[in-house]
Amino acid sequence: MGVPDASGDLSSEMEVDAFRHLFPLRYFERHLSESIRPDARPLGRARDTTLALGAVASAHGSALAKIGSTTMLAAIKMEVMIPSTESPDEGCIAIDFHMPPICSPIVRPGRPAEAAPVISKQLSDTISSSGMINLKELSLVSGKAAWMAYLDIYCLDADGALFDAALLSAVAAFSHLQIPIVSLNDDGKIVLVSEEDEGAKLEKEPVNKEKRKLKLSSIPFSLTCILHKNYILADPTAEEESIMETLVTVVLDSSARLVSFYKPGGSFLANTSAVQDCVALTRQRVKELQEILDEAISGMEID
Amino acid sequence: MASTGGGAPGTYTPTPTKKTQRSSFFSDSDVDWLRPDGRGFHQCRPAFFRTGAVNSAAGSAYAEFGNTKVIVSVFGPRESKKAMVYSDVGRLNCNVSCTTFATPVRGLGSDNKEFSSMLHKALEGDLPVVISCASLALADAGIMMYDLVAGVSVSCLGRNLIIDPILEEENFQDGSLMITCMPSRYEVTQLSITGEWSTAKLNEAMQLCLDACSKLDKIMRACLKEAASASLD
Repeated sequence: MGVPDASGDLSSEMEVDAFRHLFPLRYFERHLSESIRPDARPLGRARDTTLALGAVASAHGSALAKIGSTTMLAAIKMEVMIPSTESPDEGCIAIDFHMPPICSPIVRPGRPAEAAPVISKQLSDTISSSGMINLKELSLVSGKAAWMAYLDIYCLDADGALFDAALLSAVAAFSHLQIPIVSLNDDGKIVLVSEEDEGAKLEKEPVNKEKRKLKLSSIPFSLTCILHKNYILADPTAEEESIMETLVTVVLDSSARLVSFYKPGGSFLANTSAVQDCVALTRQRVKELQEILDEAISGMEID
Repeated sequence: MASTGGGAPGTYTPTPTKKTQRSSFFSDSDVDWLRPDGRGFHQCRPAFFRTGAVNSAAGSAYAEFGNTKVIVSVFGPRESKKAMVYSDVGRLNCNVSCTTFATPVRGLGSDNKEFSSMLHKALEGDLPVVISCASLALADAGIMMYDLVAGVSVSCLGRNLIIDPILEEENFQDGSLMITCMPSRYEVTQLSITGEWSTAKLNEAMQLCLDACSKLDKIMRACLKEAASASLD
């Protein structure tokens, strides 16, 4: 292997692909100095993002989010639980993030991905602290029964910015969620009111009158950026993340209030202007994501 | 955060008040019943295949049969840690997992090792789809194969044979048969039979499966050709 300094001279002679693999950092820096990235994006631009609601028929709410090649499938299943004595009129949300071996060559069968529990925790923290969901809305019978929303997010293709895609799929799944109609039977158990029963006279009043959606206030959206020297790269790919290690994730809600700021180490320190730039980029991105979400929801309503 | 319901208080899925009785459809004497999704007895679900579902994989495929959706990724080749000496044969490592929301009652989360027998049970209906999709993913990865492998299953319900059953139908089945084969070579690679079968029924079911396999093979080949011609352009 040649000394790093040799790479500068070699770059003119070597094939591009070989240079990319042998000197990945130099390869990227050559691009960055021209204010462009190898996938032809400007530094501050996120990849194309798509959202499809209702991808899972067996769930109460679901969404498929794609940012570039990164693909997340989120689905919510509603179950009934007995609420805790401290909060008798509140439901609960359990969030789990999975990285099955199909998503990336890094994840091997039998060895769970290290990133998965970290993202899981980040998602729960973000969704609970943003106050997007009023847990009181998940109550059925005070002190007796409440909804437990199991949100499971599966990474189907891992190509960078996993948290951003996971959060987008999560909030989209919640906006697609239809809470089923249930009633309380004589044994004190919650039972489903099936479609046929709806018209017929019920011996028991349904606990919740109609299929309803959760009221979501201040939806959180995020953007992950790479800090490298003076450059800020929005929405990194897996390759970029593996080469340049300083990541910053900013979460803002739909009214552009800061929900969380996450910088897990890295060799570059974030100075004030870098932090401000990241937040500014995120503010832009939140507008885009809000539009994409609104479009996906209105698309569902036409059907 | 409650990890997959472990520390959470016991939860249950609310079920309808009335139990669905078998008699509503699937009665033995009656041959006029409709399948829940309106298909004919010998009609498969519409099959959709696409290669290149996962960007970071060496090869991958996506299959959709009705509501059943499968993604298969192929990674490698990698150095075998187990091989102590030089070996001229490779190994194919298979791993199947199922999302927690794939079944009507929420699944068992990441502890599916413990419940592998249950997982197997739950997968029964989807196994042929998984196998067909896996062979397509291997082809997409450019791995040389004798032929594509297509899989189809048949359920026996009373006197009737129904092809490509859905979960609801499998819950009522008297017996099931699955064939995976290499249609161009006309070779069966796997055959599994459960339940009670008469020889005549078994023959009929096998023929039914083989016919469906060769049709499935055509769809899979068309998908590969499409992907290959798209990459040429």
